[in-house]
Parts: sequence; structure tokens; C-alpha cells
Amino acid sequence: MSATTSTRPPVRRVAPARWAKDNLFATPFNALLTLIFAPLVAVVAWWFLRFLAVRARWEIVETNLTLYIVGAFPRDQLWRLWLSLAILAVVFGLIGGLVGATTREAAIAAGRPLTTTRWDRVARLGPPALLLVSLLGFARTFTPFVLTAGVVALGVATSLLARRLPGAVRRSVPLIAVLGIVVALFAISGFGGVPRSAWGGLLITMYYTIGALVISYPLGILFALGRRSSLPMVRWVCGAYVEFFRGSPLITLLFTGWLVLPFFLPADFSTPTLVTRALTIFILFTSAYVAEIVRGGLQAVGRGQWEAAQALGLSPWKQTRLIVLPQALRAVIPGLVGQAISLFKDTTLVLIIGQQDLLAIAQNVTKQDEFLGKGYIIESLVFVGIVYWVASYWLSKESQRLEVRLGVGQR
Amino acid sequence: MKRSIRIASVAIAASLVLAACGSDDAADTAAPAGPTDTVTVDPAQTEGGLLAAVQARGTLICGVSQGLPGFSIVEADGSYSGFDADYCKAIAAAVLGDADAVDFVELSAAARFTALQAGEIDVLVRNTTWTATRDGAEGAAFAMTTFYDGQGMMVNTDSGIDAIDDMANTTICVQAGTTTQLNLESTFAARGLAYTALTFEGNDQLQEAYFEGRCDGWTSDLSQLAAFRGTWPAEQGGSDSVKILADVISKEPLGPLVNDGDTEWFDVVNWVVIATIQAEEFGMTSANVDSIRAATNADESPEVGRFLGLVDGFDPGLGLDADWAYNIVSQVGNYEEIYLRNVGPATPLGLPRGVNSLWTDGGLLYAPPFR
Repeated sequence: MSATTSTRPPVRRVAPARWAKDNLFATPFNALLTLIFAPLVAVVAWWFLRFLAVRARWEIVETNLTLYIVGAFPRDQLWRLWLSLAILAVVFGLIGGLVGATTREAAIAAGRPLTTTRWDRVARLGPPALLLVSLLGFARTFTPFVLTAGVVALGVATSLLARRLPGAVRRSVPLIAVLGIVVALFAISGFGGVPRSAWGGLLITMYYTIGALVISYPLGILFALGRRSSLPMVRWVCGAYVEFFRGSPLITLLFTGWLVLPFFLPADFSTPTLVTRALTIFILFTSAYVAEIVRGGLQAVGRGQWEAAQALGLSPWKQTRLIVLPQALRAVIPGLVGQAISLFKDTTLVLIIGQQDLLAIAQNVTKQDEFLGKGYIIESLVFVGIVYWVASYWLSKESQRLEVRLGVGQR
Repeated sequence: MKRSIRIASVAIAASLVLAACGSDDAADTAAPAGPTDTVTVDPAQTEGGLLAAVQARGTLICGVSQGLPGFSIVEADGSYSGFDADYCKAIAAAVLGDADAVDFVELSAAARFTALQAGEIDVLVRNTTWTATRDGAEGAAFAMTTFYDGQGMMVNTDSGIDAIDDMANTTICVQAGTTTQLNLESTFAARGLAYTALTFEGNDQLQEAYFEGRCDGWTSDLSQLAAFRGTWPAEQGGSDSVKILADVISKEPLGPLVNDGDTEWFDVVNWVVIATIQAEEFGMTSANVDSIRAATNADESPEVGRFLGLVDGFDPGLGLDADWAYNIVSQVGNYEEIYLRNVGPATPLGLPRGVNSLWTDGGLLYAPPFR
């Protein structure tokens, strides 16, 4: 083990002055570029920070914070959301802790650096923590503080616990996670709860994102495998599916699902709710893209890996599951995370099919009597932009950590 | 090679058959009187009608605009307010007895008619102008007008412009994809005035451009211009720095609309509007309707009695409960209340009643009799 570690080159450390000289002032031309662009960047950053801290009139967000987060969700049912958040904290704590533990073990076994320097951690968790604190700063009562602290503590505790889980329990975590998400969903809409048509804001955005991710990724893997199948019919159907959904603009599909689909369903078949139809469209669309990303990963796995697996006497299913897929998926993590981020942002399109998502609400609140005609649209859109940016950035940072630990790009 | 050609031809044949089936279904939907016993997809076209469907569902699905000052606004607590939103609530009060039983669906101008035709919404109350084409080709049926609007022009007070005829060679800002844009074109063409149109997706963006001095004039419905003028920011000079010209370049009668072909549902929506006007004629408000109902003797004042459902044996046959009009007035209010609450002089829009007054006050509101 130590022999493997010692073969890796040591991490280079350079003094800041040296770094600046090497990277910013290496040649006269580079020095000129630095001198031109550094003030420009500084001015833009100063302008933006001053806007955030001083000039922006955040009372529109303060007044409407609950609306941004849950839309028209009945306010006397908010406890259901907190309950559901607590369940999700356990689920994601479990997944996070487990992925952390296994990749950590794998990284140590392969002698790769763990990249948990203090700076890495600040860069990864700083923006989401900052956003959470500012959101709480807008809250007008004490209850959100206590509940948020509780949910965060629950998530951290579960992730710590998950690192110590025995192997047998570890294997059932995916099942527990899916069950947990279903239960979290039921906590909101089941048992006399709030139907999904009344959800809005960040809540409906997250519902579409998580719902489509959870279903479309496994589906996409199946389509990718199907497209490489030796059975022509399976191959053609999967190919046609992927080409159809990848070839149609998402907005067209959403419009079709909204307005055209009801005409084509059988008469005795009650039309699914709009939320279900939109979610289905997101799933169909995303799984087509995931299928192509995964297919790229499958092609990167050498023929020899299949043959080696066959030589070991593994069944075709086990060859795929144990030997080929892990390597294929590892190779395409950046693509998969990119698709997840893209899906998250694409959910804003539901505003054109009459859904009240985060972006729709951001545009609507400026029409309230209090804020009408005073240019609050800028604050509202900047706020929503920051929410989207922080979430996407966090996802991307987590995936980068995963890549380093799994040694993607290194052999 | 040969095998794949055979499979391909089978696939093509199969898709042709499927396509044929699809078009058959479409034909059946278009002509419900066909020989097959197919049940049509759209609940609006079924025999039971939308009224029964809404009552069975327990909520009214109402299409409104995506945030329009004074007409449909989502409040911080998630509830909807506004002139259009109140008419959604009034329909729910009449049909379901509960003004809060409304699911609001926010629609863009482009999607509103398609959403109505597809049966995604029960009724559209989205500041929609009643025009011949919409009544005819779009297959919509307009109920009685709730708000008589018109298109106007807003300019800077110090611009030296006093009428549209002064506006040759100016830049005029307008929202894209609306009849407003078409009216602007035809008005300026008819007067032979050259102008440049700057179009915007929404009024927020348009206003920013106006602040930057990119527009000489801003044209929109008078109610919207009034809303933005009334809330004009002090750092931009306040309300007095802009003025609305006296020229009104179009008629914009706004009202609720439903799909053609379901007269029962159309009548319900129509009479909800009439009931709010009739209540104002009676001087009946949400505050005094209970005392009026308690004090009314159906023999002495049969009109009020019929309106409030107190006359035994009188049923207008709208398919509603006897106290439907009472529910509207007690839960939402009469026309005057709806108007003053949302667009009246005390609101940011600050609109005087004008033509939106009762016929007895020189306005256009006139309720057919309740008999």
C-alpha cells in the first residue's frame, strides 16, 4: 500500500508571490493583460457586492420568502414540508455519508489524495451555507431557525452514522433511499395532505428535479444498455426512443404533454394531472440524454474487460453490473452531473405551461401593490439567480470531489 | 440486408395503421355525432357538461394572467387577489358555494386560448379582449364584459406631446405579441405618422427601458398605464412626471370566456357577472347582504327575493343552488366592491369608475332582470 502511495508525485506548493509571477506576469503580454483585466474584474465584483449588501432592496424577498419557497402551498400545512425535509435530510445524509465512506476507502486503497483541505471544504460548502444563513436572515420568526438547525443536524448525524454502517446494511441503502423519498413525498401529499397542483416555488422546482433525476438516470442506463444490445429489436426501439426525445426541444415536449396529449389519450382514461405530465416529460427527455452519456462511457470500457468477465464465468447481467457499468459510469461523472444541473435549470420552463415555479413567482411578486412599478424585478431575479447558481455550483463541487476520489482522469 | 428491409416495411405499415387510427379518433372528437359510441375526450363537449364536472371535482380551475397589476396578483401568503381573480372566486362561490375553491392557472397571452380549448381550464378570466375572431374562429364564448378598458399612450409631462398627432418620428415602447401592438400599428398608419416600435416581453422590462430614456411613449391598456403611473418611483420624478394622453386608440372590453358548445356552463359564467352588477343595482354589499336577506319579505320585494333565492318555486334553471347569488355577494361582493378593492381610486391603479358605472349613472353596466 505504502509503495503505491510513494509512486505518486508530491503535491507542489508555491508561495503566492511566485504563483502570481508565474501565472499573471510571466511575459510582458501577460502582465499587460493582467493590468487591464484585474481592475475590470475588481470593479464588477465591487459593483455586484455593493448591490447585494447595500443597494438592493431585499424587502421584496423578505415579504415573500415563503411564497418563493413553496408558492401557493397552504400555510397551515407547512409542518408537512418540515417533516418531509427531515426525512430527506436522513436520506441524503445516508447517501452522502455512504458515498463519502466508500470513495474514501477506494481512494486510500488506490493511494489517491483525499482533497479535504480546509480551503476545499470552504469552497464547497461556503456558498450553500451562506445562502442558507441569508435566507434565515429574511425569516421573521424564530421557528425556522430551530427547524433548520434540526434538519441540518439530522443530516450531518446520519451522514456520520452512515460511515460506520456494516456491509450488509450498506447494500440496502439504495432501496432505503428510494423508500425514503417516496415517504417524504407522501408526508406532503398523502393522508389528507396538499395535492401537487398546489405546490409552487422552489418546492415544485425541487420536486421536478429530484423526481426526474431518481427515475430518469436508471432509465437512461437501461436505454444505453439496450442500444448496445445484440437483439436488433431492442436496439432499434432504444435508438428510436433516444433519437426522438433528443431531437425534440424540451419546450415542444412540454407543450405537447400539456395541451396535445389529453386529446390522444383513450376516452375512459382519466388525464393525469399537469404536474405528473410535466414530470413524465422531464423523465423522458432526461433519460434520452443520460442514455447517450452512459453509452459514451460504455464505449470507453475496453473489449478486454468483457472478455475477462466472461473468462471468470460471470453471467451477462453480472458482467455488466460488476465489471463494465462501474467503470463506464465512473468515466462519465462530469457528463451525468452536467445533465443533472441542466435538468435543474430546465425546470424553469414549466412557467410557460402555467406552473408557479421559482422563476414564475420571481416575476409575479413585482406586481404586488407594495412593489409595483419600482423596479423590484432586479432584486427578485438576482435573488432567484443566486439560488439557482448556488445549487448548481454545490452539485458541481460535490461531483468534482467524487471525481478526484475515484481518480477519474487518472490511470 | 433482405431481413432488415422486411422488418422495416412491417414497421412502416404498422405506423401507417397507427396513424390511421389516430386520425379516426381525431375525426370522432371533432364530430361527436358520429356513429361510434366513443366518448369524447374533452369534458366540455360531453353531455354531462362542465358544470357537473366542476361540481364533481369540487374546485374551479380558472385561467388568469401571469401577474397583472390590479387584475391578478399572487400575494405573499400564496392567495390570489385582483379584479380577474375575484371573478374566478365569484364563479366558485356560485357553483360550489365556496369562493376559495379555485385552482388558479397562470397563462401567457399566447397559451391562453389553447389551454381553454384543451380543457385544461374551466374558464379564462385573463383581461382578454372580446373580438369577433376570438368569438368565432378561436371557438371561445365571451360572457358579459366585466371591465371596459381602452388603449392609451403615456408620455413624459415635459415632452411637449399633448396628443398622438404630435408623436411623429418617436420611439414607442409596447409589449410584444399583444393586440396592443397591432392597434399601435394601425393607429399610426391611419394618421400617417412615422414611428419606431420597441417591443418588450414584460412591463417590468419595458419600464426599465422607459427610465433609461429609450422610449418617447409607452402604449398599453389604460388600466395598466394607470397602475404604473400611480406607482411611478419618486427618484424618477413621481407620478406627475408622466401623463396619459386623452386619446384612446382602441376599445378593449375585457371579460370571462369559456369554450363554445357548452351553453349551460356559459350561462352560469354569464349570470355570475350579471349577479355582481345586479347586486350593485340593489345596493347589496357583502356587509349588508345578510341583514337584507333577513329583512326581505319575498311578497313585498319579489325581485330581491328571487335574486336571493327566497321565492319558493322560482328556479331560473341555471343548475345552481337557490342561494348562488347570495354566496357571490356575501363571499366576494358586488361589482362596486370588486372594482374599488382592486382598481378603484384607493388602489395603485387609481381608476375612476368612468364607463364602468351602472347604466343609471351613465355607465355601460346593465343587468338583465331576474325573473
